[in-house]
Amino acid sequence: MEEKKQGISEDWLSLWLGLFIFAISLFAFTGADLLGWGISTKAWTDVSKATAPVSKKFQPLKGEITKIDGQKVTLKKADGKEETITVKDTTGLKVGDKYEKPGISGFTSLLLTYLFMLVVMAVGAAALRVNIGKFIVGFTIVFWLSYACWLIGHYAYIAATDAKKAGIPWSLKLTGESGFIVALIAGLVVGNFFPKLSAYLKDVIRPELYIKTAIVLMGALLGVKAAESFGLATAVMFRGLCAIIEAYLIYWALVYFIARKYSYIGKEWAAPLASGISICGVSAAIATGGAIRARPIVPIMVSSLVVIFAVIELILLPFLAQTFLWKEPLVAGAWMGLAVKTDGAAVASGAVTDALVRAKALTMEGVNYKEGWLTMTATTVKLFIDIFIGVWAFILAYIWCAKIECKPGEKVGAGEIWNRFPKFVLGYVITFALLLIICLPATRTVQPVEKEIGTLKEEVSKAEKQLPATTDPTALAALNEKIKAGKDKMKGLSDQIKEPKATLANAKTATDGSNSFRVMFFVLTFFTIGVVSNFKKLWEEGIGKLAAVYILCLFGFIIWIGLVISWIFFHGVKPPIITG
Amino acid sequence: MPEEPKLAEELKKMEYEPLLPVEKKLISYSLIIGAALLGILVWISYTFFPGGH
Repeated sequence: MEEKKQGISEDWLSLWLGLFIFAISLFAFTGADLLGWGISTKAWTDVSKATAPVSKKFQPLKGEITKIDGQKVTLKKADGKEETITVKDTTGLKVGDKYEKPGISGFTSLLLTYLFMLVVMAVGAAALRVNIGKFIVGFTIVFWLSYACWLIGHYAYIAATDAKKAGIPWSLKLTGESGFIVALIAGLVVGNFFPKLSAYLKDVIRPELYIKTAIVLMGALLGVKAAESFGLATAVMFRGLCAIIEAYLIYWALVYFIARKYSYIGKEWAAPLASGISICGVSAAIATGGAIRARPIVPIMVSSLVVIFAVIELILLPFLAQTFLWKEPLVAGAWMGLAVKTDGAAVASGAVTDALVRAKALTMEGVNYKEGWLTMTATTVKLFIDIFIGVWAFILAYIWCAKIECKPGEKVGAGEIWNRFPKFVLGYVITFALLLIICLPATRTVQPVEKEIGTLKEEVSKAEKQLPATTDPTALAALNEKIKAGKDKMKGLSDQIKEPKATLANAKTATDGSNSFRVMFFVLTFFTIGVVSNFKKLWEEGIGKLAAVYILCLFGFIIWIGLVISWIFFHGVKPPIITG
Repeated sequence: MPEEPKLAEELKKMEYEPLLPVEKKLISYSLIIGAALLGILVWISYTFFPGGH
């Protein structure tokens, strides 16, 4: 039989795919918004208004001109809201005129997003050496089904956090991220009730590929956030590192002990099971299985258990976190990273928790936390876990080789650490570090100056309010002088930060563009996680005591120790708040 | 092609193996280091990376 050539690994592919999209987004720094046409979705009651290109540059706009200030033109739209745009040539325009800016429709944007992702993923499929024709058909089905779920999740009655604002009497307030849960449920339906379809889609059902690509893209977004609050970002990272060191040492030992001592599970099964339940699911089970030279069946079986229970955690934990941890958002984020197994489910649950907890904090206390910090915490914790898998596998391989089952001629080299190192993490580090390096100096210049401008604005506004009541000519002159001096200083300060502000605006354009695709990769992850979670198959195979140990450990203490560790390292650490 | 082994069959085949002394050591060292490091890491976190405390 001719041996089929092996393609690139999903791990490497996710790194290249993520970096490719990221590289395109970087053209924003040259003034070219090459990904601004990507899809963005918002809560809707009228589906025709649910989608739009992510960048305003690509959105069509029409309305009545209410103000012209140089190249800035303010328009009053049909919904009564005002929007200011930059128009190169304003000659011939006057207040009261109708103005229309051409752009692309939401559907065109969605279609372009699909085509772009199809081409990129088809190239990826070629690198993976799968049947391209079948992949294209499969990807088309998965993309449109996933997007339909995402759109359903944005229905205002499900998603709107402020029902009144959305013009509806009530809402479940689950945020647009509920689309992830809809995609997961749809995936579960396909995976469990349509075996022929899920078998046909096999080459496209790659949740780990999608989530790893999304994580590479997310690095850029989080780099910008880290630049905005550098102190907080370093605290999140260091505390995340501490949390996982603790988790590794406590979780693994306890699960291994219970499996061996009370469940009479042999070493060959107990080690991958302990890594699977306690550390990072599939990759840890496989790495540990390799390290202790277990038969290939062992990590595969453990992995199928891991995936199933990760789905259960993904459905339950974000809602538990919303109910009990909305006052401690970063504890909730770290908890998702520590407790939920597999990269896909952990980062995905971080994203859902981010939306749910922020929505609850806004409703209950009117605190509007900046988006993304919970996801960042969950991702940071998860990535440290991934990085340490190699180290842990090396330690286990050494112990097994030297002390437990020493086979003649077998040696364990430190190269094992690199072999086990998840390569997509390099992509995350590159995108994160690059945006951080670009944005940090700009943020450090802009933030104090903006603060000063804010103070001046307040003083000027206070003085302006005093004007009508002032009759004394000397006091009036002093007030006018103060107002003029304040305005002059504000203008000078604004000019001073023009350049760094432009850098930050370009960074936002770049990350908005790549984020549109990051979201789509997330949606694909949820749908495909559902498809691979075949409860029926696992049931037929006999869940047995392996699952009993899994349930006992996961729900007995993994989740709760994870919560305690998260609490110890993250309580009191809050995300930045949106003011004004 | 050999038939895929079933989980239930594999589990039935599993024989009882008592915990080896080296495994006991691995478990206890791991937990002891975990407990000792907890205090140190919490102190470092709160002292050098306050982030809101």
